[in-house]
Amino acid sequence: IQPPEKPLQAEEWNRLKESFQSPELFEEVMFNNMIRCNSPIDVAKSLLTHVAKSNGDIAYNLLVKYLALCVQQHQTSEIRDVYDIMKSRFKMLESGAYNLFIRGLSNSDQWRMALTLLEEVKKLMIPSRTNYESCITAASRHQEMNLAFELYHEMLAKDLVPTLDVLQALFVFSRGMEGAELQKELFGILLYLRENQIYPHKTLMRNIKLWFESIPGGKWRGHLTNIKDSGQCPVCNHQLENSDLTEEEYSNLRERIIRDVIHGTDTFRKTSPQEFEAFQTFVENRLPFDIVIDGLNVSHIKPRKTQCENLFHAVNCLAKENVRLLVLGRKHMLINSSNWRREIMKEMQNKADFFFAENISEDDAFLLYATLRSGKHCKFVTRDFLRDHKACLSDSLTRHLFRKWQRGHQIVMFSSFFIQQPAFRFDCVVQTTGDTWHIPYKDTFEEKYSYRVPRKWLCLQQKR
Amino acid sequence: MQSANTLLKKIVRSSVLPFAVQHGMKKDFLPLCRTLSLSPCLKQDNSCNPSEKLDLDAWKRVMKSGLQEEVRETVSDDKELSTLSGTREILELWRLAGRSVPENISEDQLKTFMECPSKSAKKKYLKFLYLKELCKKNDKRKLEEKRERRLEAQEQASKTDETKRSPFMCLWTRNMDRAYSWRVAQSMIFGQPLVFDMSYEKDMSIREVTNTVKQIVLSESCNRRSADPFHIHFCNFKDDSLYHREFIKHYREAWGKLLITVTDQCYTEIFPKDKLIYLTADSPKVMKTFDHDKIYIVGSMVDRSIKTGVSLARAKRLGLETAALPLEKYLLWNTGAKNLTLDQMMHILLTLKDTGDWKAALEFVPKRKYCGFVSKPVHELKKTLNLINILKLGKRQDEVQKQFAKNYSKKLTQK
Repeated sequence: IQPPEKPLQAEEWNRLKESFQSPELFEEVMFNNMIRCNSPIDVAKSLLTHVAKSNGDIAYNLLVKYLALCVQQHQTSEIRDVYDIMKSRFKMLESGAYNLFIRGLSNSDQWRMALTLLEEVKKLMIPSRTNYESCITAASRHQEMNLAFELYHEMLAKDLVPTLDVLQALFVFSRGMEGAELQKELFGILLYLRENQIYPHKTLMRNIKLWFESIPGGKWRGHLTNIKDSGQCPVCNHQLENSDLTEEEYSNLRERIIRDVIHGTDTFRKTSPQEFEAFQTFVENRLPFDIVIDGLNVSHIKPRKTQCENLFHAVNCLAKENVRLLVLGRKHMLINSSNWRREIMKEMQNKADFFFAENISEDDAFLLYATLRSGKHCKFVTRDFLRDHKACLSDSLTRHLFRKWQRGHQIVMFSSFFIQQPAFRFDCVVQTTGDTWHIPYKDTFEEKYSYRVPRKWLCLQQKR
Repeated sequence: MQSANTLLKKIVRSSVLPFAVQHGMKKDFLPLCRTLSLSPCLKQDNSCNPSEKLDLDAWKRVMKSGLQEEVRETVSDDKELSTLSGTREILELWRLAGRSVPENISEDQLKTFMECPSKSAKKKYLKFLYLKELCKKNDKRKLEEKRERRLEAQEQASKTDETKRSPFMCLWTRNMDRAYSWRVAQSMIFGQPLVFDMSYEKDMSIREVTNTVKQIVLSESCNRRSADPFHIHFCNFKDDSLYHREFIKHYREAWGKLLITVTDQCYTEIFPKDKLIYLTADSPKVMKTFDHDKIYIVGSMVDRSIKTGVSLARAKRLGLETAALPLEKYLLWNTGAKNLTLDQMMHILLTLKDTGDWKAALEFVPKRKYCGFVSKPVHELKKTLNLINILKLGKRQDEVQKQFAKNYSKKLTQK
């Protein structure tokens, strides 16, 4: 039903209600439609008056819906009135109403009231990240940066992930402000992006650039650029960090892969202890490898060719002077069939080492182990994203390490003309050397693929 | 006192009050002066002329005037809000705001709610309780309707008043029970064993264990009713485990009288290893026929989260033979996981045992999971598909045929 254009009298509401199919839901449906059509609040008021006079009371959900309408239209004084009424009418309020109050008030000149409401929410539950977003944005809009950062740290302490809008507000409103403390805080945000491997979107990137260039006496200059495959920035000729893990991170990751991915809750789920032991001795005797190939994955690259031809081609491509290859497969590959011809298998076994796992074992886990055991220079070949293995890792820090290592060490082969996508030489995170910052950013607001890293960078350098 | 107040409030808010006021009943009708603040406003409403200009903020006055009394009341009622009652209060408000929240919530449920680790877990738990409450209410309503109908029928029957004669006394259920028990007792001596492996408690949440036990209770009852029951074994069953407690909740005193074998031993200790077959959907081997000499093992596990290969890992560890039902071979699978509930497994196994007919047995797979039976042999299916393709696409016959044969064989070998 269409909400009316202007306020109605009691009888007119009554008439409308009677014509509605389910009168008990009439007010609720009407309010929902008013919110959708953004009706003038006078209409909503007249309905509320009608309800109040006929029932002597207004139900909680109607008040909340009216509040939503007021927030939508920035009616600050109405919001205050509704707050007074609800506060005296009910012992406490629930999160939905608080969300609306905080959002409504933080956009107005009464934004300090939103802060007191945030305190009230804290007594009952953990505020949502949008609650914090409203308050932080309001505080920084009024140049109260200390307060804004206090709230920001409080939010991080509660394990809430700040929205990119929060970060953007902090950069936008700090523009041109002085203060070493403030600069440190904002650098802190950039480091937060680095630690959590978050990439800013284009608007946020632009605001970061503007903030840097506005630092009084800072002499920062920003340029948008693409980093070459070699990892050198074309603007400042600075070499980006390489994607190698540190010694400690590396051994940490290896242990976690063995513990969480291969053994997990039960070693028998992915392999068996005997088989894993056999594999370990096999690898130890032939170390180190340079490239480890997931045989079955590679064998499906070109659907028109047989599986062993595909694998043969891949092995030939990768086999060069003094490169040690390891191909992982399953036992069924050894049985002579149309897909796996024995002569070709024999020939390949001269060029590379092969390990055949049981048919019901998971060969990916072996792939990870063999690559990690061989050392930092070793790469692996598979088209698999290895997401299920990443998910086995129990904490997010190790998962980030895994992603970083994967980016640096995975070679992907494409079917059409059999090219290899090389592993990245440099690490794609926010990074700094003190007088330079390099920040990768997403071109579009919504990046569709989480596995794809941005190719565009913001280069910031300080002119001495 | 409290209830009297609320009752009065209700009366006041309904249109009775102006009537009462007009007739001067106020003094004896309302011994408490708390609601008087409301009446002028309502009176005004009564006398209000429709052509008068609309007062848009009138609702605020109504709300505020109705409040004075309540504020006073609440202040005196509770000085301190404990976290528990505070949470209860919030839940009530959520319910008023139209979220899926149950009307009544017990102390224990409230505690479980507060122990939920995240907001979404809390929301899920509330919705679960809400739906449970809704079901209960509906059941109650249906029961009452049924009772009414029965009473009506009785009245009609008493009117016609005609006694029926029958050669048997009406003792159906008891006699049936006795007959069933006799059969199951027979099976405990001569019957084929069927093992439920009860070693998955640590892999499941409490709710999953409850569901498991419910499914086993269903399986046990359909086994008891069958013509040739299995001899059910619960192996690896620990006393005072969660399973045990849930079983007692279901069976109460009947738990001690069940005609099944319950043991804390493993099946490998009771039966020869070469006779055991572990049934698991992850098995690479597909069951061809039902073997009356083998002992089948079913894992008592409900797996709501994704934990593939748990039971296969168990069978691998013990070195047992495994098998999966030939679902792919007989059914055109549509959606859903290939793991079936325990009672469905029981139905399927019982039917196989009686008839050996896969089609009849696989009737018990839920209909939503498959499109239909692969009724004809593969080459006939191929022919019809060919025909369709020729009509549709005008492709050359042998080409299509080759393509299909390749695809189909690939599909079979992959599974």
